[in-house]
Amino acid sequence: MATPRPSLPRISLDSWAVLIALLVAVLVRAGVLKVVPW
Amino acid sequence: MADSVALPQPRTLSLPSRVFALIPGVLLLALVGYAGKFLEQFIARYGKSHHLVLPNIEYVLWAILIGLVISNTIGVPAAFRAGVATYEFWLKIGIVLLGARFLVGDVLRLGGVSLGLVIIEIALSLIFMTVLGRTFKLRPKLITLLAVGSSICGVSAIIATQGAIDADEEDSSYAIAAILALGAISLFLFPVIGHGLHLSDRGYGLWAGLAVDNTAEASAAGALYSDAAGKVAVLAKTCRNAMIGFVVLAYAIYWAGKGQAAKVQNKAAFLWNKFPKFVLGFLLISVLASIGFFTRPQITAIGNLSRWAFLLTFAGVGLRTNLRELGKQGARPFLVGAIGEIAIASLTLGLVYGASKLSLL
Repeated sequence: MATPRPSLPRISLDSWAVLIALLVAVLVRAGVLKVVPW
Repeated sequence: MADSVALPQPRTLSLPSRVFALIPGVLLLALVGYAGKFLEQFIARYGKSHHLVLPNIEYVLWAILIGLVISNTIGVPAAFRAGVATYEFWLKIGIVLLGARFLVGDVLRLGGVSLGLVIIEIALSLIFMTVLGRTFKLRPKLITLLAVGSSICGVSAIIATQGAIDADEEDSSYAIAAILALGAISLFLFPVIGHGLHLSDRGYGLWAGLAVDNTAEASAAGALYSDAAGKVAVLAKTCRNAMIGFVVLAYAIYWAGKGQAAKVQNKAAFLWNKFPKFVLGFLLISVLASIGFFTRPQITAIGNLSRWAFLLTFAGVGLRTNLRELGKQGARPFLVGAIGEIAIASLTLGLVYGASKLSLL
């Protein structure tokens, strides 16, 4: 019998958006993203 | 907005394949958005160098127009659709990052006024849409969907409510089509009316956030007026989004009481599931910015990242709007939606006018 493939815990798209935005903010704070032109 | 927006991806694909399938559409969003920004700057530079007075058309409008032209002429090819559907994802990232441009004091003051007006707007809109839907003899659950869609949060609220009250697919697609068509119309009408009435940035932004249904369209309608109005529109719309769980829960209990929907077992879990999490992200970033966690240049950088995320969203608004598809909807739901939207726009304009007279803005 095939064993079920382990899957990542399901996180809503909303939560993913928050996590990514916070990660980006942390990268700015850490100086990884220094200047973002507009 | 709904807790989650499913991307049109087959479940059988592996995660890397699903992510890979998004790339063409995301690149198209970036290309259309950047083309809008390029056109705005190019026209401004051309006018300046040739001493011509040319109309200053914002990148927001260019991005939406280019998207609309593509969507309604050659159409968006299938390979791009999954990526284009991510525009709401970029919208949420943009809203969270926008928190850096708000001090907590501003959020509390303006957000407090917005929240007060949102509660009045939602209560009156729900009552008005229900009476209107009954007058036009629409199906009861279609009335509920239209009422929720036009009073709170557009498409995502309709999707969230559909599941909670066991509504038909047909009813929700009628309601979604009506809300999308009206959102597209208001996107272009609101700035014209705002300029005609000489509304302040703050007053106009609050009005757009209270009256325009979909979050993407509300943000775009605000940004079309000015950057400051766009900020206020997002804040007001975020307050409206935060109410979604309470209204959907109330309708779920109402329809369950009539034996036409499943009972809500755990109300707290229901509210948490429906609560838009990006509201919390927005508040967190705003708190961090207010306590000095970021330096001023870092706040500028985060604000610019937010603008880039919104740029993808505005491109998506145009690319996903197909006027032929919207025209296929039923006439009565559209008519009810249109009358309702005019009434809600007038009502919210009155509320904003009253708030400014009371020096609350």
